[in-house]
Amino acid sequence: MNQWEVYVNDVKELAEDAEIELTIRTLNPGIHKYTYKRVRAQLSADLKKHADQLQVRLGRGQLSNSRFSIKVLGEVQRMPAKYL
Amino acid sequence: MAAPRSNREFIEACVKSGDAVRIKQEVDWENEAGAIVRRACELAAPAPFMEKIKDYPGFSYFGAPLSTYRRMAISMGMDPASSLPEIGREYVKRTNGEPVAPVLVDRKDAPCKENILKGADVDLCRLPVPLVHDGDGGRYVGTWHAVVTKHPVRGDVNWGMYRQMMWDGRTMSGAVFPFSDLGKALNDYYLPRGESCPFATAIGLSPLAAMAACAPSPIPEPELTGMLAGEAVRLVKCETNDLEVPADAEIILEGEICPDYKVEEGPFGEYTGYRTSPRDFRVTFRVNCITYRNNATMTISNMGVPQDEGQLLRSFSLGLELEKLLKSQGIPVTGVYMHPRSTHHMMIVGVKPTYSGIAQQIGQLAFGSKLGPWFHMVMVVDDKTDIYNWDEVYHAFCTRCHPANGIHIYRNSTGTPLYPFATPHERKHSIGSKVVFDCLWPVDWDPINDVPTVVSFKNVYPKDVQEKVLGNWTAYGYPPVK
Repeated sequence: MNQWEVYVNDVKELAEDAEIELTIRTLNPGIHKYTYKRVRAQLSADLKKHADQLQVRLGRGQLSNSRFSIKVLGEVQRMPAKYL
Repeated sequence: MAAPRSNREFIEACVKSGDAVRIKQEVDWENEAGAIVRRACELAAPAPFMEKIKDYPGFSYFGAPLSTYRRMAISMGMDPASSLPEIGREYVKRTNGEPVAPVLVDRKDAPCKENILKGADVDLCRLPVPLVHDGDGGRYVGTWHAVVTKHPVRGDVNWGMYRQMMWDGRTMSGAVFPFSDLGKALNDYYLPRGESCPFATAIGLSPLAAMAACAPSPIPEPELTGMLAGEAVRLVKCETNDLEVPADAEIILEGEICPDYKVEEGPFGEYTGYRTSPRDFRVTFRVNCITYRNNATMTISNMGVPQDEGQLLRSFSLGLELEKLLKSQGIPVTGVYMHPRSTHHMMIVGVKPTYSGIAQQIGQLAFGSKLGPWFHMVMVVDDKTDIYNWDEVYHAFCTRCHPANGIHIYRNSTGTPLYPFATPHERKHSIGSKVVFDCLWPVDWDPINDVPTVVSFKNVYPKDVQEKVLGNWTAYGYPPVK
């Protein structure tokens, strides 16, 4: 199970049971903790629906009480190829 | 005492004088190191030199490097007990001299080249990048450092302290304001051409190099560092671009700024004492090479409520640079001081009030200068008010500043997205407002009949009475006054 975190201005941005794009950071222990990736994912308020867990922070870093389970469907590469 | 030439010499000097403590037990890079630094700032305690970092054997942290005037004095090679006006006079003296050009050294003589990571080995997570505050948008690589760039046309070098958050192992994002030197170069040159901008980030600089990177001086930072230190700063060529970086720095990141691609940055605890600027898409730095010294020390500044080095040093250099500017314009200023506890938002200017409108002239020069975006209040007091004594300044403000005639507001000026009072729209577009508090008696008042007399011990009693009272003070039964 992986632990992820997302920043949003409003928890309503996190639509359930639909494929959405998110910028998430890993909370897994180790030296890569807090690094980001852009992903396509599905979320559910049912914490058992997907294997990974997602916690939520708001605009100024406040930890939200909302929790989701998350299925990461794939990584999205936004960076132009010239910089890769 | 010579000024420390490197971060290492500075740490040794601070430990020796009792202005730094060695922390031998393991410290976690996730919040714990930041919390130690924050508490040290809030207590004005010795700087923490954390010698053992969880997950990162061989690395160390040095926090709150310049968050006291004692450490600032040490950084300049002065007695740690030097007063603020003494440090200020020394800064002005050194920075009014001839620029001291840097010297280029061979890479074999550059400690920052002791370890070199290129290609697939480049991973910022190999460095002990701290999570400075809980809830920060990321781990911040650059909190006390210099981002080195060179203007593509003029060729002048810029060292700026632009915060940098680790986004992934090769990518950082940072706040670069549009009115800054780097912001102007990106918007005026690189963005229209779609070209990337070479950069290098130097971490663990000598304290005077960090001071120069923080100072809003028109003198290029390598030369300014040399002037402050009294000797040339040693530079070395980067591995992957043509920039030159301080050879004695602890860690160097080389790469390119991607002007047409932005990733999320923030929120972050800021010098104002708040998390103000929202998470947003900001300037992206792509790292191509990392070089670092053996047993490298990463410097950490923990911005928050007063006082940290961001507030202390910016207040110091902004005040002195404004003093130089005003004097260059013939304004009869007697001193300029910015209290660090104003989080460098209020400039206090002492002046001989010899003509009408002088407070507004000072405000317009201050706000219209390159320094202007960094503060929004100018308080002008007369030359008899001690600008370093907040009690006197506050008294002058509350009693001499006419609520209708003495407060002058300038709207829609340049501001920063970090102003806590600014509206969301103003933050988004760096819009500010400014105010001048004129605490001078109007010059058209009759000095005998219109200007009130200050009623104080030193002002209303004859000198012989003052001396008698002072001489008998303990005989009256009072304890001695220190």
